[in-house]
Amino acid sequence: MKRWGMALLATLMLLAAACSKQETPSAAPGDAQTAQQAESASKEQKLVVAIPAEPGPLDPAVSMDNSAWKLTYNSYERLIEYDGEKTDLVPGLAKEWKVSPDNKVFTFSLESGHKFADGTEVNAEAVKFTFDRLLKVGKGPSDSFAMIDQVKVIDPLTVEFQLKEPYPLFLPRFTNNYASIINPKVMEHERDGDLAQGWLAENTAGSGPYQLTEYKKSQYYKYTPNPHSSIKPAITTVYFQVSSDVSATRLKLIKGEIDIAEGIPVDQQLALEKEENVQLIKSPSLTVDYVYMNIGKGHEALKDVKFRQALNYAVNYQAIIKNVQQDTAIQLRGPVPEGLWGHDENAKMYTYDLDRAKQLLSESGKSGVELTLLYSDQRAIWEPIALALQNDFSQIGVQVKLNKVAYATMREMLDKGEFDLSLGMWSPDTADPWEFMSPWFDSERWGLSGNRSFYKNEEVDKMLREAASIQDQEKRLQLYLDVTKIVNEDAVYIYLDQRQFLLPMSKKVQGFKYNPMLEGIYNLDEMSVSP
Amino acid sequence: MWAVIRNRLLMLIVVIFGVSCITFLMSNVIPGDPARMIVGVKATEETYQRVREQMGLNDPLYEQYLNYMQGLLTGDLGTSLRTQQPVIEDLITYFPATLELVLYAFLIAIILGVFIGVLTAVKNNSMWDHIGRIFSISGVSLPVFWSGLMAIILFYGVLGWLPASERLDLFIDAPPTITGLYTIDSLLAGDMEAFSNSVLHLIMPVSILAFVHLSAITRQIRASMLDVLQQDYIKTARANGISSSFLIIRYALRNALMPAVTVVGLSIGSLLGGAVVTETIFNWPGMGKYVVDSIGSLDFPAIMGFTILIAIGYVLINLLVDLLYMVLDPQIRE
Amino acid sequence: MQTPQTSPASHPAVVPERVPGTVQIFWSRFRKNPLTMVGGVIFILFVLIALLAPVLTGNDPNQVRMDLALQKPSAEHWFGTDEVGRDLFARVIYGTRLSLGMGISIIIVAGLVGTILGAVAGYLGGKIGQIIMRIMDVILAFPTLILAMALSAAMGPSLMNAILAIVIVKIPAFVRLARSETLVVKEKLFVKAAQTFGLSDTWIIVRHIIPNVITPVIIQMTLDLGDAILMVATLGFLGLGVQPPTPEWGAIISTGWRYFLDQWWYPTFPGIAIFLVTISFNIIGDGLRDMLDPRSAR
Repeated sequence: MKRWGMALLATLMLLAAACSKQETPSAAPGDAQTAQQAESASKEQKLVVAIPAEPGPLDPAVSMDNSAWKLTYNSYERLIEYDGEKTDLVPGLAKEWKVSPDNKVFTFSLESGHKFADGTEVNAEAVKFTFDRLLKVGKGPSDSFAMIDQVKVIDPLTVEFQLKEPYPLFLPRFTNNYASIINPKVMEHERDGDLAQGWLAENTAGSGPYQLTEYKKSQYYKYTPNPHSSIKPAITTVYFQVSSDVSATRLKLIKGEIDIAEGIPVDQQLALEKEENVQLIKSPSLTVDYVYMNIGKGHEALKDVKFRQALNYAVNYQAIIKNVQQDTAIQLRGPVPEGLWGHDENAKMYTYDLDRAKQLLSESGKSGVELTLLYSDQRAIWEPIALALQNDFSQIGVQVKLNKVAYATMREMLDKGEFDLSLGMWSPDTADPWEFMSPWFDSERWGLSGNRSFYKNEEVDKMLREAASIQDQEKRLQLYLDVTKIVNEDAVYIYLDQRQFLLPMSKKVQGFKYNPMLEGIYNLDEMSVSP
Repeated sequence: MWAVIRNRLLMLIVVIFGVSCITFLMSNVIPGDPARMIVGVKATEETYQRVREQMGLNDPLYEQYLNYMQGLLTGDLGTSLRTQQPVIEDLITYFPATLELVLYAFLIAIILGVFIGVLTAVKNNSMWDHIGRIFSISGVSLPVFWSGLMAIILFYGVLGWLPASERLDLFIDAPPTITGLYTIDSLLAGDMEAFSNSVLHLIMPVSILAFVHLSAITRQIRASMLDVLQQDYIKTARANGISSSFLIIRYALRNALMPAVTVVGLSIGSLLGGAVVTETIFNWPGMGKYVVDSIGSLDFPAIMGFTILIAIGYVLINLLVDLLYMVLDPQIRE
Repeated sequence: MQTPQTSPASHPAVVPERVPGTVQIFWSRFRKNPLTMVGGVIFILFVLIALLAPVLTGNDPNQVRMDLALQKPSAEHWFGTDEVGRDLFARVIYGTRLSLGMGISIIIVAGLVGTILGAVAGYLGGKIGQIIMRIMDVILAFPTLILAMALSAAMGPSLMNAILAIVIVKIPAFVRLARSETLVVKEKLFVKAAQTFGLSDTWIIVRHIIPNVITPVIIQMTLDLGDAILMVATLGFLGLGVQPPTPEWGAIISTGWRYFLDQWWYPTFPGIAIFLVTISFNIIGDGLRDMLDPRSAR
């Protein structure tokens, strides 16, 4: 409330200043101290974030792209939110919720007083509209809510979700960008039955603290506070500016033209850290780098578990972490990364052991094998990693042919299984080990949707499906630990590393909070920029 | 004259048909499915198939093509997969930036090219000749992606004289759109701040682009000038004591200009090619950057829209060159 | 250069005007033109570098040494090392082979195909000529780089596809040139004579037309060679060229650019290499035109 008052003051003062420059701050109500605060708050605070590329459409029901989410997350609110830097769920638009014992009916009571940027109240109708539209649009985000049977408005502030089948992992999905509640009035912008997808692709219509007020294609997105939001942020204008060239972006940060520089490679970030006016945010993340080994559809030799283990032992993990990741990563132990429940700190971890690798290779009886290694230019570190792996595998006599393709092509090839080895990365959408388990190992999810090693093990399938259908966390944990043992022994993937989140920003920027579930998304309303 | 126009318009139809066919076929050959890009990496097969259906990607190819051509007749170039906006609207937004860049680059290349061309021809085989030629040849020999980046480091990073990229500083408001060219619009609006700022932003990309095209013009002007200077009437006039500079400008240059006009007209394709790289390097929000981004995400409606627009532009510019020729050389009119 | 005489024994009357003594004139002019000499020297230097690459450096251009990543230029690594410790001098040197090889093969194929198509279109005219020229119009209407990018994206980035894409883009210019020259040659006496002898069209095109249009084509080829090498590098820079780890100049710059602020040498040397090779071809082409083009040689 204090901040609210301050901002109100600030607005008044701005008005006053605009009317007459002679007028003193004391014209505003309040004691001397607040007046002083108001004076500093009345100064416009601008934040400029450089983004490496223009993201795709901003529509929450369409975008599956983290780089678009960061542009919309602050313009919308969701029923449930993450708690600051923690991955716990806290009330958002919904002040409380009830789950039926059979995990099939979820009822939310909305908090009153939340308003969209045009002043309309956020109510149960808007929630229903959002999810009906999401499913009707039927793009990528609808996968996360495919289990919804129907959304019912009980009263203006109560909404009920009925599911087709019990789904215990339902709640965390409401924190995602695609669960952002949209103002039903967007339908005024509908064109040719597109459910306003065209309009929402470059506009926002939510109840979050900021709204998109200006968009210049390929140049910048400009945000200003939502006048009807109860949150009055300190930063009055936020620019997300497209700046594709790394060196230029870096120079701009040093010169103070931008405040936050995204898309800078790891080694450059460390160089930036030495600059006087730059701070480097470093936080543990749940993003992992690993290698898919195409067991189901790739080279014959990959079907042999000893051969896969041999490859696992042949990788010089520490060299990659040191030289490519510049020591900003740790070797990944098991599929579930450190920091998420379900991580097994005693899980088997393959280490660099050439003798072991050679021995396993000769036991497998495979020799003169030549594999392809797929990657794209989507991520700068993929090429050095690919070169390092090529070099490592040649040490045990396995030749690797690099296959660098366009990102879109890579996705297609991953889905069809047209590769032997491929570089990959993964980050979870919810704070649940399910994210690293079912997609990666369930044979129902062969291909792009997760099981990119085309691995099939009926025992694993059974345990994973059981774990996904129950709510008892103890039991789920046990199941996941058991699966981890099996798949580690089976050497389904090569786990390279678990990265840190790194972000260079000006020292003038304060209040940034990092949440591992919202990687790359800013808590703009809590941030400030000192002059 | 009408025959020329008729021929060119016939050519327009052939070119549009050919260009659209090629891009369309290409979009089908390419491995990498636009629907995949939209649904994201973790999507299920079901969603993916549904989106394919929505996007009409499951229709037979000829049907997709007919649909597209039908739209084309009404000026509808389809919807961009990447931006979800009508391609024609996207292109209209991006066009002025490219126009401004290419226009100034062209002007500078022509002025400088004529100057160096005349200089090297008049001072044939002297030191000036060598310097002038090396200078103009350097332009076409430098990889734009390299020289552009070097220029940014030097003039922005080290010297701090010029802005690194974009059309205007972030906090300077763009002038109200009349022509879409910031330099002209800002003058019309009397906004000197925006004007000087946009000029500063133009200097580097325009110079780089002009430098590339300098050589072709210089080469042509020089060759024609050498040719004309050898003509008997010029020699006679010189012998009769008519001042050289008057001769050069009044007769020699005028005759040398014509072949240069052809070169200029024909190089529009490569100029736009150069603009693509220049725009990428300087983060210039023009059509070139748009199409590079579109190729990256296999956004075929956008790529097709762009190529068709350029093809139309190419044919029209050729028509213009033909007409200009007639104006410059009345003999052709008969 | 071309054969100065075309089967003089069988058709003594059929001697093209432009050809006799070309080689001698060419050499005497070449010696008098210092600029072209410089271009020639640079070109020969690069050819030598390409041929002698293994002698010039003992380092393997693809040897990954993670422990030697991003080293400064030194006695051991003249141009420093890249982010996985490969020797940049070796990569630039071996890159010469690739760039020259690709550039020359692109231009030869494009020049050959273009000349044949142009000669056919010009000599035969009619429907076939129309069709050829309309196809060329379509290709010319594409912005060159975009067409090359789209082609190599469609076919998948690889050495062969990049070559093919640039060849396709380069052909129309040669077709136009060869056609307009053919239209002139076609009216010459020796062609008319050959026609009255009842020689086949193929024979006339191969033995009479093509040898007589080849001079301007060769000048154009030299001038385009530089451009072809630049295009190879640009495709490489945009990630649409050869596959890694092949040392290609454009690709090295593309990766190296990210390191420029801390490791200036990484993209600088391959950039200079591209510049020198391209400028040498352009100077030679420019000079050749002056020397061989009867108009400007007057």
